[in-house]
Amino acid sequence: MGFFAPWFLAGIAAVGLPVWIHLLKRHKTDPRLFPSLMFFEKREQSSVMHRRLDYILLFALRVAIVVLLALLFASPFIRRAAPASDGKKVTVVAVDHSFSMRAGDRLARAKEEARGVLGKLHPGDQAQVIALGAQVQALTQVISDAGELRAAVDSIQPSDSRASFGELARYVRTLAESQRIPLEVHLVSDLQKSAMPPGFADLRLDPSTALVFHRVGDAAPNWTVENVAAPRRVYDPKRVRVQATVAGFDTPEAKRNVSLVLNNKVAQTKTVDVPANGRAQAEFLGLDVPYGFSRGEVRIDGGDALSADDRYVFAVERTDPRKVLFIDDGRHPRAELYFRAALDASGDSAFQMETLRPEQAANAPLGNYAFLVLSDLGSVTAGFEDSLRHYVNGGGSLLIALGPSSTALPRVPVSDDAIEAASYAGREGERFLSVSDIDTGHPALRSVDRFAAVKFYQAIHVTPSKSRVLARLNDQTPLVLERQVGEGKVLVFTSTFDNVSNDLPLHAAWVPFISQTAAYLSGGGAEQPVNLAVDSYVELRAGDNKGAAAEVLDPDGKRLLSLEEATTAKNFAVAREGFFELKTASGRRSLIAAHADRRESDLTVIPQETLDLWRATGGDNQGSAGAAGKANEDDKKPWGLWPIILLLLLGVAMVESVVANRYLRPRAEVREGIKQEAA
Amino acid sequence: MLQRYLDPAVLAGISGLDLVAKTVVDGFIAGLHRSPDFGFSQEFAEYRAYSPGDDLRHVDWNVFARTERMFLKRYRGETNCQVTILLDASRSMKYASLRAGVKLLEKFEYARFLAASVGYLAHVQRDAVGLIVFDDDVRQFVQPSSRQGQLARLLHAIGSAQLGTRTDFARPFAHVQQFLHRRGLVVAISDFWDEPEKIINTVAPLRFHGNELVLFHILDPEEIRPKLKHPVLLEDLETGDALEVGPDYVAHEYPERMDAHLEDLKTRAQGAGIDYFLIDTTRPLDAALREYLAIRKGRM
Repeated sequence: MGFFAPWFLAGIAAVGLPVWIHLLKRHKTDPRLFPSLMFFEKREQSSVMHRRLDYILLFALRVAIVVLLALLFASPFIRRAAPASDGKKVTVVAVDHSFSMRAGDRLARAKEEARGVLGKLHPGDQAQVIALGAQVQALTQVISDAGELRAAVDSIQPSDSRASFGELARYVRTLAESQRIPLEVHLVSDLQKSAMPPGFADLRLDPSTALVFHRVGDAAPNWTVENVAAPRRVYDPKRVRVQATVAGFDTPEAKRNVSLVLNNKVAQTKTVDVPANGRAQAEFLGLDVPYGFSRGEVRIDGGDALSADDRYVFAVERTDPRKVLFIDDGRHPRAELYFRAALDASGDSAFQMETLRPEQAANAPLGNYAFLVLSDLGSVTAGFEDSLRHYVNGGGSLLIALGPSSTALPRVPVSDDAIEAASYAGREGERFLSVSDIDTGHPALRSVDRFAAVKFYQAIHVTPSKSRVLARLNDQTPLVLERQVGEGKVLVFTSTFDNVSNDLPLHAAWVPFISQTAAYLSGGGAEQPVNLAVDSYVELRAGDNKGAAAEVLDPDGKRLLSLEEATTAKNFAVAREGFFELKTASGRRSLIAAHADRRESDLTVIPQETLDLWRATGGDNQGSAGAAGKANEDDKKPWGLWPIILLLLLGVAMVESVVANRYLRPRAEVREGIKQEAA
Repeated sequence: MLQRYLDPAVLAGISGLDLVAKTVVDGFIAGLHRSPDFGFSQEFAEYRAYSPGDDLRHVDWNVFARTERMFLKRYRGETNCQVTILLDASRSMKYASLRAGVKLLEKFEYARFLAASVGYLAHVQRDAVGLIVFDDDVRQFVQPSSRQGQLARLLHAIGSAQLGTRTDFARPFAHVQQFLHRRGLVVAISDFWDEPEKIINTVAPLRFHGNELVLFHILDPEEIRPKLKHPVLLEDLETGDALEVGPDYVAHEYPERMDAHLEDLKTRAQGAGIDYFLIDTTRPLDAALREYLAIRKGRM
């Protein structure tokens, strides 16, 4: 017998508590009132006699409770033979159906191997068939029906998921804990190295689990289109650039033809030299696609082990440049110039800028613009601000630059942050201000190099009320603030866009700042990527638009969501390669291209010593089920006594309650009498 | 049947001392003889011929107008006995024990009922009734009188009596002596927790003025025969002193000492011509009144 937590035995010292209660405390408590002590005398004998244990039974029960409680925490156990398994075991057949199993006839061979394992089972033997991808899919329960097990193996189809042996080990550990009899796991797989988890500890198995490997494929040379970099939206087809990366795994140096296919038509073909075990890039200029969503694909020549990864799909959307309204009162002519130059220089010509005076803009249809820019306006009429507020509430975006004219305003339009005063550099010895804090994770500030070396001579001090400060100057003046208003957002830049209040337009950070800000503001929210790996999740609705239906069409054109799912599901998992047409609950339509994880393209096999190590984490490294069963019979396992102690404790506690009630009732009545007297 | 109503526990449930007193007294007062003395209270008895020296206020002038002879009106019920009740309100009177989980009547409550009943009875008898509530000094004093409203005053004084501190018979009894100019009956109701010699020496001088003295010794049954299962710490209600006592002592020595005390008190009282009655709080009140009436018969 032993204890899992022997230190808890120190709790037995609490036995002193009932001793104190019975020996000492009782001696001092409950004085009884009496009219006169005329005829009483103090006797030592009385006191001595009192110090004997009173209520022996109650005392014993209380001591027992304390001791049992301490024992319960110390968790005693005895070693005894594991529950008689009598040589019984559960056979688990795990068939890898990941993307790499599409190579050659690997999956067919795997299924044949699995059938062979099942064929060796005796009648009555229990087994389970599972399919291994990114997740473990149990195709049957633990059953002994050979027909059902075979049918489960036959039903396994190739998938585009990435195998994860870590998931398999976790599932097997859970199964071993629940079954409490030895497991014999047959892993039928190509044993791809890339399926290993980052930490070897994730592969550990229960001691009663035996692992048997059935390899159905060898390492083979394989070329793949590893990645394609293409814009999500195309505004000017002639200025678009598509880059494809071709990688070779275990391959010799070779020339590969790379083709760009648009809407099932080969648009361009190039030849690249792929070094041995290396990568090469192919670049295609121009992407002549029609308006709307287009299905793109980069293909290489086939003929290698895994042909499924010779194509890489991507989705693009052709749209017109979106209009941006720059509202300026004419005081900062260079601000417009710099802003327009930055938008034009961003590369993909996504925006067309128009300029209006505030009085003209008040009557303009603001809804036609992707976002608006207010450049240091000295006055904003109530009607114009209402229009702006209505525009932003409806999902529009506003970029506000503050400058010397803005100090006339009590607060920033729409965002309602109070304008305190202008903050000038050079007054107290500082010749300029610089950015000290910046949220580089924000989409608008991602590649601005923290505004390094940019000098700010003047910034308008704004007290943020509900806005979030994204960047601050070194005198803690907020530089960039953002506030969500209704469905839209307002971004406030507390300096001007010309090179008077700062020299930002003259720095390299200017163009990325403006282009990223424009992209962020025109996007209407954080858009999800349109090119995804299989097993990624796509968001269908935010939390606030329940009830509206979402819609997903799979590559075969079938609806993936039931009616109930369409109105309630928040996201869905992309389970296969191809193009998915998506309409989110907010009504936004998009085309999503899903491709298999390219780590599956590396068909390198796990070294034998690694496999041996993995198998050794289980109970039997011979891989023999019979031996595993025998070994477990000889093993004596610690068997916890806590359920017995717990039952005992409950019983003693109940008896204690009854006994204490019997003893203490008269005393309770005395107390009741005292209470009545007091009343 | 009557006994049922006189159980102290039942009486404790009756609100109002007057009702308690009536309940106790009226049941057995019926048939009690009238006072042989005549007086000037309300109930007409007879005419008597005027003789010189009689009080002219009692002459019936209507009869004189008709007959030209002077007659005096005489009435029933008037006696010249004065009853003074001494009620002990010391803190020890607060004691009440438990019997079968039910709290008995407090000694003080019992004493109140007894005082009210004696007072009511005396009032019915047309006796002048007074009250002195005392602990270690006189706390309340109602001048003996047989006037109308005296019963209400008496009962109110009994009802509003508050428990005080310690018992000291010397001062209250000296006070009583100052007011007792007429012969009468003094009824002392107390638990008499003091030395018998001291008690008798204090109260005996009352006898010298021609008073009859009755001591009602009220005790809780637990005071006479306490029961302990285990050693306990006892706290004196009056002094607050605490003493640890064991069951053995309570079972053997205490009863002997208590019995000796009671016997001593009784003997000394009888020796001093004082009537002494030991009453425990479970005893029906009418029994105590019978004792009282037995004495009164001899005096009336």
